[in-house]
Amino acid sequence: MRVLLVEDEVRLADNLAAALRDGPGFAVDWAADGLAGDDLAGNGCYDLIVLDLMLPRLDGACLLRRLRSRGDATPVLILTAKEGKDSIIELLNAGADDYLPKPFDLGELIARAKALIRRGKGKAHPLLCALDVTVNTLEQSVQRKGVLVDLSPTEYRILEYLMHNPRKVVSKRELLEHLYDYNWEHHSNVIEAHVSNLRKKMDSALPDALPVIETLRGRGYRLTAEKEA
Amino acid sequence: MKLPGRNSIAFRLIAAVLAVELFSAVLVGFLSLGYERHNHFHAFDTMLRGRADSVLGAVQDAEDKADNVMLDRADLHLPHTDVYEVWDDAGHLLGRSDNWQGCGEGYTPQKHDVFKLARVNGHEYRIIRRHGSRIVDPVKPGGGRLRRVMVVYGAPVAPVWQAIWGTVDFYAAGSLLLLLVTGPLIAWLLHRGLLPLRQLAALAADVSVDAWQFTPPPSAYRTPELAPLTHALESVLARLERAFVQQRTFVSDAAHELKTAVAVIKSSLQLLNLRPRSAAEYQAGLERCLADAQRLEDLVAKMLTLARVESGGVLNGPAPASDLASCVQDTQLQLAPFAELRRVTVKTESPAICRVALSGEDGSLLVSNLMLNALQHSPGETEVLVHLRVEDGNAVLSVEDRGEGIDPAVAPHVFERFYRGDPSRARTTGGAGLGLAICKGIVDRAGGSIELASELERGTTMTVRLPLA
Repeated sequence: MRVLLVEDEVRLADNLAAALRDGPGFAVDWAADGLAGDDLAGNGCYDLIVLDLMLPRLDGACLLRRLRSRGDATPVLILTAKEGKDSIIELLNAGADDYLPKPFDLGELIARAKALIRRGKGKAHPLLCALDVTVNTLEQSVQRKGVLVDLSPTEYRILEYLMHNPRKVVSKRELLEHLYDYNWEHHSNVIEAHVSNLRKKMDSALPDALPVIETLRGRGYRLTAEKEA
Repeated sequence: MKLPGRNSIAFRLIAAVLAVELFSAVLVGFLSLGYERHNHFHAFDTMLRGRADSVLGAVQDAEDKADNVMLDRADLHLPHTDVYEVWDDAGHLLGRSDNWQGCGEGYTPQKHDVFKLARVNGHEYRIIRRHGSRIVDPVKPGGGRLRRVMVVYGAPVAPVWQAIWGTVDFYAAGSLLLLLVTGPLIAWLLHRGLLPLRQLAALAADVSVDAWQFTPPPSAYRTPELAPLTHALESVLARLERAFVQQRTFVSDAAHELKTAVAVIKSSLQLLNLRPRSAAEYQAGLERCLADAQRLEDLVAKMLTLARVESGGVLNGPAPASDLASCVQDTQLQLAPFAELRRVTVKTESPAICRVALSGEDGSLLVSNLMLNALQHSPGETEVLVHLRVEDGNAVLSVEDRGEGIDPAVAPHVFERFYRGDPSRARTTGGAGLGLAICKGIVDRAGGSIELASELERGTTMTVRLPLA
């Protein structure tokens, strides 16, 4: 998952980015002011935007309105140090999905970030199930028919992304965009290797199982369609 | 209608008007007393003279050899309380009223009428002594004989005084009645007249910290006595509201800054605690936390400085004075390592001594904030020029850098608290956006001015003018 962090306080941004990368393993892009944030958000490759309100050049509320007026549906989590319910109500009405008052708890921020991403993909529960595969997004563990599959962080993130969009064809580019921050192009040659490893590990967990991921040549990957048993 | 209290303007006005009325009533009383007394006694004297003449008319030829005169009282019809006697020039009493023993003076030769007061039968009488003459047998050869007589005539004065007092009493009663009627009338008129004042007071009473709305009634503007008060109230309220809004903004800005600083420390610690880490990682994390705490400490110190600088309008004790030239030299020395680190040359030009009306602490704070600001915005291999001089009785300090300059749109805001021209840059260079606000606070308090001239990509010059000590 890829997160855009718009926050002008450098040290706070450092900590938030480190926590989001370390904990749930998100790719994090950082923008130090509102205009840069608006620019990056325009790429449309984010699964969540974490937005500070008091920003230089373009404040958080304006950025949010611009985003929503473009029809961008990316979940937005607001960070605010402002007092008063009025501004919160106003922000939620303007299209924000959630807010956290400063100073916040990092654990809570990560949990809310995960929940917002999940909701953004139409899932209500942290346990993702498709075919015979179960992904626990809290423990970051994967099981196939109850058998634990050991995956590397990148392989897990690929699988999690596909599990969030079960019937969708996910292009290599989209996968790259959502798994890495803005230097993703450096990783483009290794993504195929990661998918291949992932497929091997998933299929070898059960000897007679169907392949989990199918490749649509020139278009991308998707989870194998469920067959009637 | 409520009765006005003892200290109210209405009460005082009513009391003043009534006192004036009372005074004029007394004055009218005395004047009328004098006037009536003069009039009545004038008439009384005329009457006395007339009655004395009628007594004189009753003096007739006695038809004797000596050509004497006599008083014939048969035709005299005079008030029974009046008294009279008639003397001739030979000193004979010709006649006297029955109710009198006479004044006992006899004939006194005098040309003019003489009036005097005397007590007759226990009452006060006004007495006239009138001289007249009779010619006995005028048809005789030689023209008859001239006989001089003197009539003494008196009448009681009590009825005259009665008439005078009657008139004065009438005036007094009239005045008193007027007082009684005008008292409540004035009270009512004043109550009506003071209506705009009460309306204004009611509106002013509605103003509170949460509701600054104050629209004076039009009557308050139209009333010349109220207009200055209304204008004063309006401007005071406007100033107070501005101050309150400023204070509130400061508190909310300060809270925002402090919360962000706390959020940094908290997140640093939680990040460290997210998963088990190596000793080296913990150590690095702790160092970062310490640095974050140090920044929080600096922020609080700056806020307190700003509060101190902005709070005191009035300075206690002797007027402060310090040497700005030595402040410049000291600051240059202090900032030398920082300038070296940023590869910026600092050039100063200043007189040997330049005393300004600032405390030493404020002086160094001002100079170091300006120089630090210039250094932070100077790219490497450039110069910062600090120039101190005396112009028109003011100390003029200018600090010039060759930095990126300040956007004209941003320039008016740089002296605002927590304002950062380029926040991401200011954050990384450690500014909290308070430095220039502190400078402005110091300069304002000393009665000086601070302004900036800037050109994008060319640099910025901050100029401070301070009165000399």
